[in-house]
Amino acid sequence: MRNEARLGWALTLPALAAIAMVAVFPIFWTAWESLHFHDLRMPWLGRPFVGMANYVEAVSSERFWGAMAHTAVFTAATVTLELAGGLVLALIVDRFSRGRDLVRTAVLLPWAIPTVVVALVWRFLFESPAGIVNGVLLRLGMSPPTWFADATAVWVPLILADVWKMTPFVAVLLLAGLQNIDRSLYEAARIDGAGWGRQLTDITLPLLRPALLVAFIFRSLDAFRVFDVIYVMTGGGPGTATEPIALLTFSSLLQNLRFGFGAALSVIVFVVSFIFAAACIRVLGRDALMERVP
Amino acid sequence: MMVNAAKRSGWMEILPLVVALSAIGCGVGQDPHVLTFAGSAVGSEAEALRRQLDRFQAVHPSIRVELRATPDASDQRHQLYVQWLNAQAPDPDVLQLDVVSTSEFAAAGWILNFDQFHAPTADFFPATIAANRWNGSLYALPWFIDVGMLYWRTDLMAHPPVDIDDLERLAAHARDEHGVPYGLVWQGARYEGLVTVFLEYLGAFGGRILDEEGRVVLDSNAAVTALTTMRDEIAVDRIVPPAVLTWQEEQVRFAFQNGQAAFMRNWPYAYGLLMDASQSRVAGRFAVASMPGGAGGAPTSALGGSVLAINAHSGDREAAYLLIDYLLQPEQLLERARLVGQYPPRPSLYETQALAEALTIAPGEARRIIERAVARPVTPVYTELSEILQIALHRTLTNQQEPRAALEGAASSMQALLDKVGLSPAVHEK
Repeated sequence: MRNEARLGWALTLPALAAIAMVAVFPIFWTAWESLHFHDLRMPWLGRPFVGMANYVEAVSSERFWGAMAHTAVFTAATVTLELAGGLVLALIVDRFSRGRDLVRTAVLLPWAIPTVVVALVWRFLFESPAGIVNGVLLRLGMSPPTWFADATAVWVPLILADVWKMTPFVAVLLLAGLQNIDRSLYEAARIDGAGWGRQLTDITLPLLRPALLVAFIFRSLDAFRVFDVIYVMTGGGPGTATEPIALLTFSSLLQNLRFGFGAALSVIVFVVSFIFAAACIRVLGRDALMERVP
Repeated sequence: MMVNAAKRSGWMEILPLVVALSAIGCGVGQDPHVLTFAGSAVGSEAEALRRQLDRFQAVHPSIRVELRATPDASDQRHQLYVQWLNAQAPDPDVLQLDVVSTSEFAAAGWILNFDQFHAPTADFFPATIAANRWNGSLYALPWFIDVGMLYWRTDLMAHPPVDIDDLERLAAHARDEHGVPYGLVWQGARYEGLVTVFLEYLGAFGGRILDEEGRVVLDSNAAVTALTTMRDEIAVDRIVPPAVLTWQEEQVRFAFQNGQAAFMRNWPYAYGLLMDASQSRVAGRFAVASMPGGAGGAPTSALGGSVLAINAHSGDREAAYLLIDYLLQPEQLLERARLVGQYPPRPSLYETQALAEALTIAPGEARRIIERAVARPVTPVYTELSEILQIALHRTLTNQQEPRAALEGAASSMQALLDKVGLSPAVHEK
């Protein structure tokens, strides 16, 4: 037994070393960097150790809390809509007995398009007085806002673009879950006189829980780190009204080249994601996630 | 140089070889100086540059110049430069910089002090030289100039506006009487272009961003008036369409080019394109003027353009300066004006027939605008100041903040930044 254990360790060591090098080391290095003042543009200031100063600067800045709030709004709105839309889509596709593969492929299409392209297309639809959306709204007698110059209205195209792209992904995850459900349960329910609604709430949804959980965690973590859709569509604007935390990190780190401060923001994003994922697993059930994933 | 590199890397085994090779090189004295030139190299710019580098090498057979193409977008190019120079790479030797970067690179010690070369600074527009000074020394020379201009429709009015009030009147008149959808269009997206437009309104009302001592004076009444004017042109007078809040140079040009606007604020590059009747509906029906002034200020144009600097770690400074000096000779500048349409930084050329033939805008006209050009703040942290300002401006123009509150907030963030990096006047003792 001891020998076997030793062999096991020996065999996993290379993999563990690789993980340590590409995952653990960068995290610790970033954490270490975040404790320094390090601005690539001001080499005359050196790279002094400043303790928690970068974190203090972050949490005392209005822009940081704005970015956190925008991230939360974006995450809540897109995840809710995507889970609801994905569930409906999965239930519909599940009804097709023939041509399901074809439908499934068709449903996946938006997800297969690169995000940058999706973002540009949606921006084009909403932008300028000549855009399609504005054209339709005008014809309906409404006066559309200048979408990307309005701090509230700007969320509509942003959220729509993300929902349009990511709902299919959720749908496919849920579809796999649906197909794992034993059909005889529905038969039994029908014999007992349960209608469609009752079957949905008593059989489908409880048994779909693991798949819903996986979709929820994937989408939430993804949405929390959202960058590309917003970068392309609004650049975080108008002003900083849609700037998510990832975009703030990007602009601090790569545009302003403030390595220390940017590292502190990265660490905050990492810690929040980590806590969120851990909480999801704890609250929603570790077993569900680990064992019953389709 | 090579020997040092080898030692540092610990390649002891090849060291003798390297020493031997470099000894041969020095002994024979025939290895040419190799210079690397980094800059924008697309389209007609690349064409002009290649020609000039070829001629330079013909004149100086002992110098070979390699062209290293860099991204055309100035912020991406800037990012790349920072990485190279921060690593103390000896190449590229000669750099094309955006004019706002000179002080940043000079303060970082990345580019060479030009004082040793006794450059003929008096031959260039004073504003373009001032923008390249840091701590009293010169660090780069201007290569070509960009200035903000007001394009106006000659078929809708008889003369350009005398001041901002007049411009707003004429714009409203064109919209109401001539059915032009937009009175005025400018760059209103949240990016550097918005700062240059604001700078012109700011100057028009007599405001500044930094005063002579480098203190932030963005919260002045003049600045509030300037920003309020910009906002009200959109929200109250409705002569500027809200769509400009996402527009950069090209979208603005398209609107004007399609005959949708009576006025446009843009750079000189648009002139030639607007004259092209195959794509422009306003060809032959427009002219340029300075951006107008307002109460308490003067007509102001934002100064842009590129400068040439030398890497502080360049192995061959003399040759590098020789190349810069060559590229800035009148005949090279005239060729660039002809091929690329860029404005030379030497005022004397504006008297010549050659420039009149090369440029689409009459040199006298262009010179009057250039002489009103105002540089953006000369400070190593310009890009960060600009970002703070961009956000404040865009928030105000999209009605998320009032002009005074936005500018006061921006001013205090800017001052805090300058204090923190040791660049405010009180601390500044370099």
